[in-house]
Amino acid sequence: MRNAWRTLITLLRVARYRRIALGIGTVYLVLFLVALRDITLGGSGVRFATVEWTRMFSPTSPFTFEAIARLTLPGVTVLIAPLNILVGGVLSLLAALNLMVTYVAYNQPSACSFNRSTGVLASLPALLAGGACCAPAIVLILGLQVSSLFITAFQVLIPVAAVLLLITLKLILDRTHPERLSLMDA
Amino acid sequence: MLSSRAVFVSAAGLLSSLGLYLLTTEAPSPAPDPALPLADTPYVLHHDLSAYTDFMMSGGPPPDGIPAIDDPQFVDADGANLDDGDMIIGFMHNGEARAYPQNILVHHEIVNDAVGGLNVAVTYCPLTATAQGFKRGDTTLGVSGQLLNSNLVMFDRDTESYFSQIAATGLTGTHSGATLDEVNLIWTTWGQWRAEHPDTRVLSDNTGHLRNYSNDPYGRYNPRGGYYDAREVIFPLMHESDAHHPKDMVVGARTDEESVHFVLDDLQSDRVQQTGRFVAVYDDRFNTGHIYEADALPDITPTENNRYEIDGKTYAPDALPLDALVSVEAFFFAWNAFYPNSNTV
Repeated sequence: MRNAWRTLITLLRVARYRRIALGIGTVYLVLFLVALRDITLGGSGVRFATVEWTRMFSPTSPFTFEAIARLTLPGVTVLIAPLNILVGGVLSLLAALNLMVTYVAYNQPSACSFNRSTGVLASLPALLAGGACCAPAIVLILGLQVSSLFITAFQVLIPVAAVLLLITLKLILDRTHPERLSLMDA
Repeated sequence: MLSSRAVFVSAAGLLSSLGLYLLTTEAPSPAPDPALPLADTPYVLHHDLSAYTDFMMSGGPPPDGIPAIDDPQFVDADGANLDDGDMIIGFMHNGEARAYPQNILVHHEIVNDAVGGLNVAVTYCPLTATAQGFKRGDTTLGVSGQLLNSNLVMFDRDTESYFSQIAATGLTGTHSGATLDEVNLIWTTWGQWRAEHPDTRVLSDNTGHLRNYSNDPYGRYNPRGGYYDAREVIFPLMHESDAHHPKDMVVGARTDEESVHFVLDDLQSDRVQQTGRFVAVYDDRFNTGHIYEADALPDITPTENNRYEIDGKTYAPDALPLDALVSVEAFFFAWNAFYPNSNTV
């Protein structure tokens, strides 16, 4: 475990990798909130509304929660649900770190004791985590018929995705050797 | 700079969310005195009750995860931010007219209101296009998060009994098998409702909840598109039929022994349709139908100005001298899923 953290910290000391993680994490979080419909098209004028903060704990579905503020802008409306941002933030962080290490493996295979394709496979849980929030939107867009099994699976997809992201992150970090990294572009 | 602490805090945050979810989804304890008005005789069902409860499934949200509007605010017609072609649900009682915009109801599905001295729950299921009103007494209805035939399953917050919206019948709990006391709602456009009820009050988007009411997650009605127009249905159905497009609108009714439905477009063409003990007449004012029942149906002739002649006298379409049934508009697939043996033309 100590080696994994040490590797992660070494990688994050490189500005380029940090920027990659930050970029991926930000895009992932925005997409997560779009999929949850906390960011939606439609709205006119500029308005801001709030409700009592304790509503943030009211679940709207498994692992998604009520908003306590709404920002309406011309053409877009943003609902601010602190726990959705927290859950999305955790998933985004894990997905960003996974994809960052995958990028390192792809560009510096000599620093990793796994091949490039394995590195790409490690990014699959990030896609699964994305599916956790995008599933309802995909169902609606494609007109799929869902089963009770699908609903049950969907309800645990977010924690399952988070655990898988943690596992793959640990696995690929354990197989990454910071002493072999070229940090020339740091 | 991220560190091992950041990863630890992230994992702790996720676990906290899990804990919060489990804590906040516990059901409230039931009150001892149910006060929900019920019909004297239950509506017909085409299956045993257990078949419905077995088929009921989670739609995703927990009970009240889709929050009903429990303290509705209203504006007058001039203050409503609606186009004439936008869909609304209309209710008229004791001289008071109310319009509940579809773009608000799609996010809440139930409004616990009091209109003309009557406590009523105005309910709307976007997946089946059904708007139905129920007397609620002193209790309130909530959205259970369960679905039956893609249709809303509500719960009485006093007794936690679950009710199917279309069947209007208790599925579980104290009121299992009992039918709610239903009132007529009108599913129509804002322009048509306002023309008939210029003094109507309109549900405000100041609902006490934060949503984007200009964005419908399923599609649109003005003009109709997305899920509301597509052949696809999201959740499993007990019965399916190719007799009509799944999203064709029908107007249906049920008694204690039978159900009946009429395809709205056909009714509009024919003006009057009859099958068995049931007759439906079209109402130009709201683009809807009204269903009546009689042992011996009289000759009904459409005349000018949206009126119907019976034995030399003319009547408005909602005031024929026959036994009026509560008429419900629905997507064809939904009515058929509940009532596969429904009478029809």
